[in-house]
Amino acid sequence: MADHFSGPRILFDPASDITDIFAFPSPDRPGRLVIVLDAFPAAAPTALFSDAITYRLRVRPVAQAAEGAAFTVGGTEYAFDFTFAVPGQVPGSDEPVQIGTCTAPNGEHVLFRVGDETPTEAEGLRIFAGPRLDPFFINLTGVLATDATEKLAFQPDAVNTLQGMNVLSIVIEVDTQAVFGPDSSPLFGVVGETVTSGGRPVRLERMGRPEIKNVVLASKKFDPVNSDIEIRDLYNEEDAFAVRQDYAGAYRARFNANLAFFDRLDGEAVWPPDDQGTHPLTELLLADFLVVDVSKPFSEDSCFEIETALLAGREHATCGGRAPNDDIVDTIYTLLVNGIDGPRISDGVDSATRPATHQFPYLAAPNPTPPDLMTVFAALSAPPEPGAEA
Amino acid sequence: MTSRPVRDDHEPVTTNGTIALVNLSAQIDSLATQGQRADSTTLFAVAQQAVLVDLLALRGHLLGRVADYEHAAQLAERLVCEAPGDSIALLARARTRATLHRFAEAMTDLDAAGRAGAAQATLDGERAAILQAVGCYAEAQLLLRKAAPHQSDFTMLSALAVLQAERHETAEAEQVFGEARRSYRGVSPFPLAQLDFRRGVMWMREGDLPAARAWFEAARRRVPGYAPATGHLAEVDLLLGDPEAAVAHLRPLVETSDDPEYSSHLALVLRVAGRYQEAQQWRDRAAERYDELVLRHPEAYADHAADFWLMVGSNVDRGIQLALQTLVMRQTTRSYALVQRARAASNQPAHHTP
Repeated sequence: MADHFSGPRILFDPASDITDIFAFPSPDRPGRLVIVLDAFPAAAPTALFSDAITYRLRVRPVAQAAEGAAFTVGGTEYAFDFTFAVPGQVPGSDEPVQIGTCTAPNGEHVLFRVGDETPTEAEGLRIFAGPRLDPFFINLTGVLATDATEKLAFQPDAVNTLQGMNVLSIVIEVDTQAVFGPDSSPLFGVVGETVTSGGRPVRLERMGRPEIKNVVLASKKFDPVNSDIEIRDLYNEEDAFAVRQDYAGAYRARFNANLAFFDRLDGEAVWPPDDQGTHPLTELLLADFLVVDVSKPFSEDSCFEIETALLAGREHATCGGRAPNDDIVDTIYTLLVNGIDGPRISDGVDSATRPATHQFPYLAAPNPTPPDLMTVFAALSAPPEPGAEA
Repeated sequence: MTSRPVRDDHEPVTTNGTIALVNLSAQIDSLATQGQRADSTTLFAVAQQAVLVDLLALRGHLLGRVADYEHAAQLAERLVCEAPGDSIALLARARTRATLHRFAEAMTDLDAAGRAGAAQATLDGERAAILQAVGCYAEAQLLLRKAAPHQSDFTMLSALAVLQAERHETAEAEQVFGEARRSYRGVSPFPLAQLDFRRGVMWMREGDLPAARAWFEAARRRVPGYAPATGHLAEVDLLLGDPEAAVAHLRPLVETSDDPEYSSHLALVLRVAGRYQEAQQWRDRAAERYDELVLRHPEAYADHAADFWLMVGSNVDRGIQLALQTLVMRQTTRSYALVQRARAASNQPAHHTP
């Protein structure tokens, strides 16, 4: 799953567990950048944002590097910090209400009410926070079976593992000209983080591209260097724009080993490593942030397009980034297994049960009676025998 | 005896206790299991069920809910039935068995988990906790040292602090409690509340009631309604000569907890406050519940029930019988002391409720 339960440490702190980050140009207000942070996997209707966590969205201008398939990251950072108060009672209501504060890059504080369906408007900003239907969709059975059997094991017409589940969402729509300045780059790198509030900030989780931790980095069995390390907890602590050099070697080893595994899945190698054993995607994916171009129109199938264009040495044609309805499981398996322009791989789940909308706050209303997780996980059948290939 | 103020330069910021409890229950609800199921043996499902077992045990401890412990134990039993060779399932059952003081069976599960591939450091940590519970401090310390390089600083230092506290090495324990607190990096209030609670227990055992009180209060500030801290706070207030404050602490607890410890304490403090009729109601409620729990979980509740019958329950014979039962199950310093107390009580005129 995109970033749900991404590491053992996060299991006991669900309010800090980022499940997904999305970044896309607004479908109904071109030129505005929408960023979504989802947290608290399988949130029951009573779930609340933590008052001890800053939910942070970080945006930096990026540009194609002069050499190699990589991006250079600008020094200017636009950060949106979301903090939440302890719920209080509102006169005339029995339900406790949680109030949030968005601190914009210029230091302005914008107050909003969690769950309020009317967006909170401020200078160049539109904000929503509250429970929403989890927009992510995946055939987790097939993903686990692929890992277990080391063969592509997706079946058509599979069931979305996250069907009917909720998350806590933060949605912000930014007028980039007004908030970042008229000369700001149209190409941005975006990451989401949860950071401790008060005292020395400690990064609890962070996410850029989907499925980097849970699909690409999770498996330990191919790593010849650190096969006993749960690398995701370490990776969660990293600044996505500047990975600590002390651990970069460990991450590279895991990327090289696991990316090679994906390339072997169909028996044909499309990503030959260099003479140091480095996979061609390692450096690009290690710089783990979404890359979005707000000068392009909104698109729902453009995730990784900017990256693949860079790898292919051509101009990107779409906004890139990631929209909620983007079928990124198919995209990432296609890229890793079949290469840049290879035939599309399907995991058998092509859309959410209730797709995200094109109007703010974009994500569908929450399910008032979400399924319990055990039902979902228990229904995950044992991995099929090798040979049941896509 | 010097009171130590609850003050630390590093006061970690944690999620508001009420939010954290709501989210803990939300997490349990989202993981809630359904009836008997035979198809939950996939790796992921076992891991998720094991998390549910641990979350239920955590809520059981925080809110004083025996029902949560029982639910966790049932789930863990079923998990091992469905996945008998899975180390995660065996570890989960070991923890629930240890919670219910079934220490020998818990050790057997840990051995099996080791054969099934559980990490040695994990096993060492779990075994150390059990050895500590049965008073084998030297062996526990040895295992803690072995496990230390593989644990987080907070986990390692907390375990060490509690061990030193139990060995009455208070000066060293105080220092390590402080270090553990400073090393905490999470936002969940539960580990810190538990740490503060254990620090309070240490000072209570050492007879420094103001210090104990301060740490129990700190734990309750971190997690409002934290049952063991509230119960101990009531004990301290009673010992400090304020039975009405003790009653005020215990009243909400007897409404939310199904552990008879609190109704027993309430009966005691009401008696001290001269409210005998009210006390009798809570004494009867505790008696009934202790009888149930001793039948279901003798290892965990026989000693508490013995305490009850020797004091508020006013049935010394029953107290002696349960104290001896405890001694048969566990030959610890506490068990011997309990038998000694029971014998002393039998030589005194029986307590009578007016």
